[in-house]
Amino acid sequence: MNVPVNSFDAVSVAVLPPVARFNLRIAPADLVVATKAFGLKLPGKIGEGVQKGDRAAYCIGPDEWLLHATEADQNAIAAQFDTARAKTPHSLTVISDREVMIGITGPAAIEMLSVACPLDLSRMAVGSAKRTVFDYAQVVLIRDGDDAFRLEVWRSFFPHVSGLLEIAVKELTVGL
Amino acid sequence: MNEFRVKDRGRVNTDKPVKFTFDGEVFKGFEGDTVASALLANGVHLMGRSFKYHRPRGVVTASSEEPNALIGTTRGKGQFEPNTRATIQEIYEGLATESQNKWPSLQFDLGAINDRLYMLFSAGFYYKTFMWPRSFWDSVYEPLIRKAAGLGKAPTEVDPDHYASRYLHCDVLIVGAGPSGIAAALTAGRAGSKVVLVDENTEMGGTLLSEPSVLIDDQTAWDWLAKAKAELDNMPNVRRMTRTTAIGYYHQNMIGMVQKLTDHMVDVPTGAPRERMWRVRAHEVVLAQGAIERPMVFDGNDCPGVMMAGAAQTFLNRFGVLVGKQPVVLTSHDSAWHSAFDLADAGAKVVAIIDTRPEVDAALVHQAMKRGIETLVGHTATATKGRLRVKGLRVNPVKHGRVGTARVLSCDAVLVCGGWTPSLHLFSHTKGSLDWDAEAKAYLPGKKTEDVHIAGAGRGLWGIASALEDGTKAGREAVQALGQTVGAANYKVADDRVGTGITQKELPSDRSAGKAKAFVDFQNDVTAKDIRLAVREGMKSIEHVKRYTTNGMATDQGKLSNMNGLMIAADALGKEAPQVGLTTFRPPYTPTTFGAFAGYHKGQHFEVTRKTPIDGWAEENGAEFEPVALWRRAWYFPQAGEDMHKAVARECKATRQSVGMFDASTLGKIEVSGPDAVEFMNRMYTNPWTKLGVGRCRYGLLLGEDGFIRDDGVIGRMRDDLFHVTTTTGGAARVLNMMEDYLQTEWPELKVWLTSTTEEWATIALNGPNARKLLQPFVEGADISADAMPHMALVECTVAGFPSRLFRVSFTGELGFEINVPARHGRALWEKLHEAGQQYDICTYGTETMHVLRAEKGFIIVGQDTDGTVTPQDAGIGWAIGKMKPDFVGKRSLDRPDIVAPGRKQLVGLLTDDPKTVLVEGAQIVADPKQAKPMKMIGHVTSSYWSETLGRSIAMAVVEGGFDRMDDTLHIPTEDGGTVSAKVTGTGFYDPAGDRLKVE
Repeated sequence: MNVPVNSFDAVSVAVLPPVARFNLRIAPADLVVATKAFGLKLPGKIGEGVQKGDRAAYCIGPDEWLLHATEADQNAIAAQFDTARAKTPHSLTVISDREVMIGITGPAAIEMLSVACPLDLSRMAVGSAKRTVFDYAQVVLIRDGDDAFRLEVWRSFFPHVSGLLEIAVKELTVGL
Repeated sequence: MNEFRVKDRGRVNTDKPVKFTFDGEVFKGFEGDTVASALLANGVHLMGRSFKYHRPRGVVTASSEEPNALIGTTRGKGQFEPNTRATIQEIYEGLATESQNKWPSLQFDLGAINDRLYMLFSAGFYYKTFMWPRSFWDSVYEPLIRKAAGLGKAPTEVDPDHYASRYLHCDVLIVGAGPSGIAAALTAGRAGSKVVLVDENTEMGGTLLSEPSVLIDDQTAWDWLAKAKAELDNMPNVRRMTRTTAIGYYHQNMIGMVQKLTDHMVDVPTGAPRERMWRVRAHEVVLAQGAIERPMVFDGNDCPGVMMAGAAQTFLNRFGVLVGKQPVVLTSHDSAWHSAFDLADAGAKVVAIIDTRPEVDAALVHQAMKRGIETLVGHTATATKGRLRVKGLRVNPVKHGRVGTARVLSCDAVLVCGGWTPSLHLFSHTKGSLDWDAEAKAYLPGKKTEDVHIAGAGRGLWGIASALEDGTKAGREAVQALGQTVGAANYKVADDRVGTGITQKELPSDRSAGKAKAFVDFQNDVTAKDIRLAVREGMKSIEHVKRYTTNGMATDQGKLSNMNGLMIAADALGKEAPQVGLTTFRPPYTPTTFGAFAGYHKGQHFEVTRKTPIDGWAEENGAEFEPVALWRRAWYFPQAGEDMHKAVARECKATRQSVGMFDASTLGKIEVSGPDAVEFMNRMYTNPWTKLGVGRCRYGLLLGEDGFIRDDGVIGRMRDDLFHVTTTTGGAARVLNMMEDYLQTEWPELKVWLTSTTEEWATIALNGPNARKLLQPFVEGADISADAMPHMALVECTVAGFPSRLFRVSFTGELGFEINVPARHGRALWEKLHEAGQQYDICTYGTETMHVLRAEKGFIIVGQDTDGTVTPQDAGIGWAIGKMKPDFVGKRSLDRPDIVAPGRKQLVGLLTDDPKTVLVEGAQIVADPKQAKPMKMIGHVTSSYWSETLGRSIAMAVVEGGFDRMDDTLHIPTEDGGTVSAKVTGTGFYDPAGDRLKVE
């Protein structure tokens, strides 16, 4: 994916390297099984995120989690859940290629995102994740720090989103 | 120095002279001037010609409600804007402006013939005039009227400007930065709330800018203002925005605001947006938008030089410009007396103050006498003199309702104040109720529907002291509503300008009302007699009066005309004003550019164009594209010199002869996973799924509750509890939503989950007798020989080293495979297959060929051969229904009387008698082309192509009772008005037995 990295002092936008990515659907009552299979305690509340090393889990729906891990672990993780499926019904779908991830960092990160995201991002807790919209695209937004966000968007919506971010960087540069 | 500029008055920067042009003439002004103030400083009042009658018009206000001084501005190439208000456009060096609606010139306009013929143009004239002869309407009258209509010239060049857009959240949004708004901002800001304060003007201050003599806390108004702004700017929790208009108040405290960023700049930074649309979600909103001065309605009240008294005061105090050297003041409110005093003190010779009230505060009369200004209380105005500029005002005394002898006062300006109307546009957007104040004869804000506070003149209060107090109160209430603590503030105000007044309908006159050109709506040229005529002609509701006369329908949305129109209509109807009521205010508050609404949604960003991972290859290899839903798909791949017909013929032939390659990545894919997956599939789709083995796939049919076909696609069983469902390209989101809807609301007990995987996989289809030969060497981990992998089977393996879900399916009738690989490998796989395919003369084909090949086999395309009214039986695919299934979505509807009735439209084939004729898709079908019109249409053509394979045209159609019409001849119109005959056949045109699939 060839996208110019846009940055200047106030904000930096970059496409992040691919990860192993899963969409997990499981009854909240069975969450402990998923925790065991994934090796990380899955958060119980919608919007909460947990991160440890190169693994992360975000609760983005009543029975839905977004899981990240390093690419090399993809098959092993799928196998773990495969085994668990015998006793505990769930759905683990690989979506590593469905999404592209963009990192937006810097003091103007929230201002940048406010170009097309209608949420009050100042109230988004660090470490949390939200499924929301960015103009026409449905995205998942993850807040990694006061000034650090990641945005996940479907592959074919990526050009639209990155185009808007590029425009926003230009606006911030001009100062108008 | 301009002739009408007053030294040491105003806030324009006299150190920075600016030259601009108006109608080609160069004028001098200063930085900080608007076009209106600069023209007035040069003694120019005539700025436009009115809409209908082409009457000479001058500027009447000093702000955004201006109805007359509408000009065209040119900022650069492609940057022409019509109908710009001269009172808003700031001047800068080199700005070019022009007046509108005149020819050949503003001073001599031929269009003024309309004014002479005004009898022909009264309200609703197009229902009563220009009716004979009838034929003249289409050829003469309408074209002429259309040409003459309109004010500004529409731009003809593409707008090169960028328009930005942003969301904003705050605790308190304050709209209007006059004394009320600023007081509210200080209160809320000091309390630590996140405050946004906006004003449509270049600088904040509102009335304070026009009342410099008022003292606040022992400082002049301007000094106090400067300190207040500095204090606000020092608060990190406060954001101040000027040149920002709140254009609409939407649900749940969402306010739309348009910020003008560069229209005032001579050097615009490269890449700077021209305007920004802000979408603000505020916890609390304070509306401090003030009040709008009301004109008076009397004969000739639209003459250039007749303007609002408050505007004259603003032009003097804010811009240092005298609008006339000998003004006359005509008023029914105390405020205009103060305007008169300001002008007199600045050197104007105020000829007289005419007040329609029988009595006026003695102190005001005294102040007038001190300045040598004649006062005529209890008088009326009955006409103006002058055409391109007012020269005199005709006034009469009024005693006991009788209008006395007239007297003409010479003057060069008439400053009018018919009272003040609280500005309630934004409040009205919320559908808050408006309460009629009988004393003020004005509407005031009533019941609220949003978290909003209204302060100051916007709710009928008057004077700086009460504005500051009320703004503080609103600020406190807003902060308290947030659950925060807030302090109090008191302001000591001296030399305040308080006062009261009355409002009225038309001014009484000794002359015939039928002949008076007494304007109510300046912009739409609506007179008082138009409104009375409307009532006489039976318009009883204010909604009808408005639309019949167009009063209040111009771009100023009745800011100067609604109330006067209401008073006159109420009088004509013999009712009280609140019984007649107001019409609806709608956003935007003031004219807003299309660009601001469009924001980034233009060019590349107008809509999302979704592209597959293989799209780049198609583009590089000359594909033509077509839109399918939000995707762009390769339509055909023309080689040198080929048109679409030739390219598609070649692609079809090559695919059936050897092997063709097609990008099928856009088709929807849904992972249906869980122990209840098969139960869910049985309920959703018509087909039986229980016995579909793992490693097999089946064509699935999806109906709506109404029994009509909604979508279809091949569905593979990956595991007992896992289905790989495909949908049409355009149906992907819709099908997933429908599935989730049923799952969440009807069958929440089912343990099954749905995940979209459309973009997880890139999909390449290989079709043709050599498909397996090409593919086999790339496959590892599976045996895809004819015996091991029958038609409609699937397997997980690797293809070209990439993990894959491999399906043996065919939408062409030839041996076919669909290879799914993770999206990032899509293009690499495509290139590998393409290279290896050279030995088989592999042909890449697009959606057009795909359409033709499937049609040759009679396969339907949902949305092409179906239109939401076609059942499985209608389409001849009743075999897809699982007969033994107890239930599935749409099953019960298939028994409805109209669904089982005979004569339904059924899908058949059509073969034209002349094989070279290709029917037009959508053409209606008749049994007898000689029948009388209107003919009985019995169906239409759904798909129609040239078939290279068969060497003739083929078509599919839905025809009433089609299955019983086999071999009948039907008739179809052609594009040039002729008729073509065709025979009804089945839809399996090519290889009906399916032998082409049995390739080793």
